[in-house]
Amino acid sequence: MSAAPAPRSATDSPEKPPEFIVTLRGLSKIYQQGDVNVTALNEVSLDIARGEFLVLMGPSGSGKSTLLHLIAGIDRPTRGELHVQGIDISRLNESQLADWRNQNVGFVFQSFNLVPVLTAAENVELPLLLTRLNRAERKKLVATALDLVGLADRMHHLPKQMSGGQEQRVAIARALVTDPQLVVADEPTGNLDAHSAHEVLGILQSLSRDHGKTVIMVTHDPKAAAFGSRQIHLEKGELTK
Amino acid sequence: MTLSGFVIRNAFRNKRRALLSTLSVAASLFLLVTLQTFLRELTVPPEDVGASLRIAVRNKVSLGMPLPARQRPLIEKIPGIAAVTPFTYFGGRFRDEEFTRFAQFAVDPQVFTNVFVDAYCPPEQLAEWFKDRNSCIVGQDTLKRYGIKVGDKMRLTGTFYPVDLDLKIAGAYSGTPDDRSVFFHHKNLDEMLGGGQTVGTWWVRAASAEVAPQVISTLNATFANTAAEVRAETESAFQLGFVSMWGNVRLLIGSISSVVVFTLLLVAVSTMSMAIRERFRELAILKALGYRRRELFGFILAESFGLAMVGALLGAGGAYALFSSIDIQKLSGGMFVFFEVTPRLVAMAFTVAAALGIVAAIPPAIAVARTSVVDGLKTLD
Ligand SMILES: Nc1ncnc2c1ncn2[C@@H]1O[C@H](COP(=O)(O)OP(=O)(O)OP(=O)(O)O)[C@@H](O)[C@H]1O
Ligand SMILES: [Mg+2]
Repeated sequence: MSAAPAPRSATDSPEKPPEFIVTLRGLSKIYQQGDVNVTALNEVSLDIARGEFLVLMGPSGSGKSTLLHLIAGIDRPTRGELHVQGIDISRLNESQLADWRNQNVGFVFQSFNLVPVLTAAENVELPLLLTRLNRAERKKLVATALDLVGLADRMHHLPKQMSGGQEQRVAIARALVTDPQLVVADEPTGNLDAHSAHEVLGILQSLSRDHGKTVIMVTHDPKAAAFGSRQIHLEKGELTK
Repeated sequence: MTLSGFVIRNAFRNKRRALLSTLSVAASLFLLVTLQTFLRELTVPPEDVGASLRIAVRNKVSLGMPLPARQRPLIEKIPGIAAVTPFTYFGGRFRDEEFTRFAQFAVDPQVFTNVFVDAYCPPEQLAEWFKDRNSCIVGQDTLKRYGIKVGDKMRLTGTFYPVDLDLKIAGAYSGTPDDRSVFFHHKNLDEMLGGGQTVGTWWVRAASAEVAPQVISTLNATFANTAAEVRAETESAFQLGFVSMWGNVRLLIGSISSVVVFTLLLVAVSTMSMAIRERFRELAILKALGYRRRELFGFILAESFGLAMVGALLGAGGAYALFSSIDIQKLSGGMFVFFEVTPRLVAMAFTVAAALGIVAAIPPAIAVARTSVVDGLKTLD
């Protein structure tokens, strides 16, 4: 989204950006459930290049969401190294991590998770309320983001006045509005019909192809996976081919 | 949209619940203010330090029937009496107010200061009052309320008596628990009425607390079987006579008030917790978008505090508006002359609401802080 400049970019290093936006080394996530340890991720090592549209696949319970959450900084690894944009995000404290997410990551979830009492434009504006941008600047960015997902004419609609596909596009606009380098999407088309799914996937694809964003998407659907530039498979917490 | 706009939108997302919770705060605070006003009106005069020495003497038939002025020399002769003043309720109107918010009494100035020892008025103002038969002294609270000062004139339009009074304010008194009344020369009233045969009541100061019971029975006995039999009682008894069967009124009202506040707290905490619980998933999303715990706490606090304050505005404001516009004397059958919701009581109601708003925000805020983004996302809508 070149039209929208980064509102806060404290973490952008002045030097040449790293070749890989995400670097994982021996990353594990182990949940303790009583006496039993559940290994959700086992020693995963992975590099994700800038501008990639990476698709994560694998059976249910294989650790796809867990991996996505770790990369997006909403969960913490048990072991291993995790660098995103050259930063070891597992070392950030809660509040630094919150800031970091606000500036660097856009989220899209299976259930669209819009705030029901806010209009499309207001939902998209939410992440911007944490920045120093003034009202006019925010408005411009919101309009640009909604335009990009093809919903410029639905600005003032409430979520309940929109279709599922439109809601998910609003969620994508919300993920884009801060101009993050990384967009993560956990089964974004899971609740959509084929037509809406196609639209949403098209947008995600163009983000990576035309706007240089790095997109990581979890999906079960091989048709959806075909939109990505690379696919990786997880099984029982480990990467297969 | 702004952050405060977001809070407001959230507060009213469930309109019925917002309305009901605001109304429950309003109703409870209305009740609290009413109870506390009731308590204050009942107990203000008896808390006065001089009250145990003061004896009110009124017509045995009813408070409204006058007493003959010729009783005075007989009363003065009774042993154990330090001072006696006539004390006649004028009941005038001031500045076209429908319900005047202070009482006016005709007294004998020189003796008055001996009976009502706790009213403090600077000596030079007292001297001025003693000298000028057309002057009065006015309680500090009333001066403040109407923005009038010593030296001004005040016109009181008679309602019981067919005369109007033009009084010069010679002094301001303070130091009683209820500095609202106006006191003026009984002689002035006597002249206006062209007589001087009657007074409303007598107020007597006993020489000591020990002799007070004896003085009371002598007073009652002295006028037994005369045309105007009297009933003498201590000021506290006089004030509380009509509620004496309630026993400890303060304790009773205090307990009810505590229960009201406590219940309100439970309701507020559970309502807020419920409202936030429904939004757990959404709050998790906000966290993912970069909102920190303190910002989310800010949202919850603002919503809870805001609703409580609107409730206080309705409840305490409603009590104030209601009790300033009704004729409490008529409605209470004469039990209350005043029923004033003081600024202090309004402030008390707002303080309770503020505390309520803050306390109700804490449990849901802790629950939100403890839930990670990932756990929050797993909760169902
Ligand atoms: N909070 C938790 N406590 C314990 N175990 C957990 C927790 N979260 C996930 N797991 C376990 O970790 C493993 C990986 O879960 P994850 O949600 O990443 O799977 P997934 O690949 O996204 O599955 P799905 O396709 O069904 O969404 C599963 O075995 C799951 O039971
Ligand atoms: Mg999953």
